[in-house]
Amino acid sequence: MGKTVTIVRNVLEANERRAGKLTEYFAAGKILCLNLMSSPGAGKTSLLERTLTDLKGEFKMAVIEGDLQTDNDARRVAATGAQAVQVNTEGGCHLDSSMIEDAIGVLDMKDLDILFIENVGNLVCPAEFNLGEDHKVSILSVTEGDDKPEKYPLMFHLSSVMLLNKTDLLPYVDFSLEAASAHARKLNKDIEIFPVACRKGDGLDAWYDWLRKARAAKK
Amino acid sequence: MLDIIREERVKHGMKRIMRVRVVNGALSGAVSDALSFGWECLTQEGDLQGVVLEVVDAPLTVTCGSCGLPFTPEDKHYMPCPACEEILGHDITGGKELYIDEIEADIDDTPESGEAAAAAAPHTGD
Repeated sequence: MGKTVTIVRNVLEANERRAGKLTEYFAAGKILCLNLMSSPGAGKTSLLERTLTDLKGEFKMAVIEGDLQTDNDARRVAATGAQAVQVNTEGGCHLDSSMIEDAIGVLDMKDLDILFIENVGNLVCPAEFNLGEDHKVSILSVTEGDDKPEKYPLMFHLSSVMLLNKTDLLPYVDFSLEAASAHARKLNKDIEIFPVACRKGDGLDAWYDWLRKARAAKK
Repeated sequence: MLDIIREERVKHGMKRIMRVRVVNGALSGAVSDALSFGWECLTQEGDLQGVVLEVVDAPLTVTCGSCGLPFTPEDKHYMPCPACEEILGHDITGGKELYIDEIEADIDDTPESGEAAAAAAPHTGD
């Protein structure tokens, strides 16, 4: 019969430790860091293209792009003039803190106002891994169904903001903004919800106002 | 998880590990069956071959966002408070955890040899 040793160590502790260091780094540099999460195709990159273009004169912004393969998104984002670095996870379904550490080594972080991290398109695993960010932002497009917050609760539970994208397609799909919002609020009563249509630019002002407030809070 | 276990084995001078207990909360995002399956695959051979993984499921516990009553909801999504029937705004007090609770092993009781083993062991990364 062996002896039992009490351990009590978090299985994800290596990531948590690195995320803690990143949080300190962003605080010291007064950089607002946002972790954007959604399923593939919900419009993370389109939202960034719009945001980077519209707020170009106001903030210095950079983007870390996470994808399994290709640098398509980094090229799209870089076309707006913002700094972008692509992280390929080579099959991994989420970004973790060590990848962010590597990416900020490549970026010019001096005087940066906002760092966007576009996570791998996936409603499950990205929510598990803290990246040292100030806020998680989830994007749900109306073509996906309004029950997604109910089906994938953790991401919406942890997010400060939920953007409901592609509202220009509402006439063609059975999606209730009210139902999606109610599901999300059931999980997270303080979540900010912004219906937007990135392709047309609808509703983005509310999102930009939120960004300005979050940025100001970081100074 | 295997890295943590190997670190602890060195730290405590464990000769042979019999059992590892992991506590998995209802909201951790890890599926207990998947953990067990992954463990089985990763310990078919090598230094942890034959070690038993015990997964203890920890329930979701909340305190009501309205009246403050602590309770254990039956459902992870729809959680009416048993006292005031409030369904929104509860604070989660348990169920997000995923940690290694304890390890049962044969331990080398001579402290010097344990420390010597720790000093001699290569760094196992984090």
